Amino acid sequence: MPDLLRAEWRKIWTGRTWWYLATAGVLLSVIGDAGYLKQALDKPVATRPSSAELTSTLVQGWFVIELVAALVAMLAVTREFGSGAICRSALLSGGRGRLLTAKLLTAAGSGAVFAVAAGAGGAISPWVFLPGHGYHPQWTATTTWTLLGVMLVVVSGALWGSLLGMVIRHQAGAVVTLLLSTWLVSGGLQRLVPSVGRFTIDEAMSSVCRGGTSGVLSIPWALVVLAAWIVATGVAARTLFLRRDLP
Amino acid sequence: MAAVIEIDGLTRRYGDVTAVEDVSFHVGGGRILGLLGRNGAGKTTTLRMLLGLTRPTAGRAMVFGRPYADLPRAAHRIGVSMDGIGPLSAATGRADLRIWAQTLGLSRSRVEEVLERVGLADDAHRKLRGYSTGMRQRHALATALLADPELLVLDEPANGLDPDGIRWLRELLRSLADEGRTVLLSSHLLAEVAQTADDIVILQGTLRYSGTVADLTQEGAVSLESRFFTLAGPSAIRHAHA
Repeated sequence: MPDLLRAEWRKIWTGRTWWYLATAGVLLSVIGDAGYLKQALDKPVATRPSSAELTSTLVQGWFVIELVAALVAMLAVTREFGSGAICRSALLSGGRGRLLTAKLLTAAGSGAVFAVAAGAGGAISPWVFLPGHGYHPQWTATTTWTLLGVMLVVVSGALWGSLLGMVIRHQAGAVVTLLLSTWLVSGGLQRLVPSVGRFTIDEAMSSVCRGGTSGVLSIPWALVVLAAWIVATGVAARTLFLRRDLP
Repeated sequence: MAAVIEIDGLTRRYGDVTAVEDVSFHVGGGRILGLLGRNGAGKTTTLRMLLGLTRPTAGRAMVFGRPYADLPRAAHRIGVSMDGIGPLSAATGRADLRIWAQTLGLSRSRVEEVLERVGLADDAHRKLRGYSTGMRQRHALATALLADPELLVLDEPANGLDPDGIRWLRELLRSLADEGRTVLLSSHLLAEVAQTADDIVILQGTLRYSGTVADLTQEGAVSLESRFFTLAGPSAIRHAHA
């Protein structure tokens, strides 16, 4: 298994795709934080958020890295299906079950790398953006929960992306599904049928990242919903991967 | 010698379409078997069922006495180069082989050995997406040879090779068989198979022939091409245009 894990790990980082996505993720996080701060400063002084609120929100802005982790893990899987390399992986890995386990473990590992990067970026960002605007970073328990939530969600995102890739197999289809679910489905459901919309995986992730404040779900419930989505998709991915013919 | 491959009543249907029906044959150790058939005759489907990549509708396929999925150290005993099983195209030739070598628990020096053997050592630093078709075939063979397997399953390995490459492939396969390895070679290049194989299986959805080349060609009195067309029947394309 260690050799298989090392090989799967190398596959994830082969090529430049992850580098482009990571760069885009950092840029989006920085632009998001800068935009949020500008919006906050444009408000009348009396209604501006406090230093503590600003600090937590700037940390939360690094939630975007979740999408990067999901895409990197997803592309690592779907490009194997696209090239047929998944057949060689299955032939050489000692069984499809072992291969699936190795892929999920390495996806979680890649998510952890992005989570550390997001955690570092999030932790530094208040000290980069707030000084010079009359604010000083104010780190609170909520900020800590927010940071931990962002990091957990980034790891979950990598698993989610990998599992979606295993289920859908087709690269463009998987990417479109991920983007639609992130940008349209959960937001749309939240507006149309709020009682259902709050149980989407994206709303659960979003709630975990808010450090327990103003989330649609409380943190414990958000964690339960997030775990349920991962487990359900994991069962589907395992069933399909073990039973369906490989392309 | 015991059969290395045993195919027994293998059938695969996709809805109303039957790709392979009731195919049975076996391959003895140290032999080169040529699996012949037109495009769509079921050659690749048969090989995929042998390797557990496609589930048979009926029948069974065994390698070294067991289904591939149940065979201990299957990846070390069986090398595979198949149409449709591509490399990691974002990688260089060497990096791709190192990944598969790592999957198998093999050293980096083994990668260099197979690169030398297939004649790609000087090009292994290049991205695979820049390889020519012939280079891709050699790369796929290198991957199949990594674990120094007892059995090689090769699907259309001569496709895209130039005349020098085809001669090189023939000599390579013969040398592998001389070392006691078994080669299952799928192809539609009849002349090439006639020069390389010891045994022949002709498929056209169903099994049309299974036996030695010598028996099929009556010790060379009849050409393999002539026997193939007699056994495989008329081409569907020719019928369509008739």
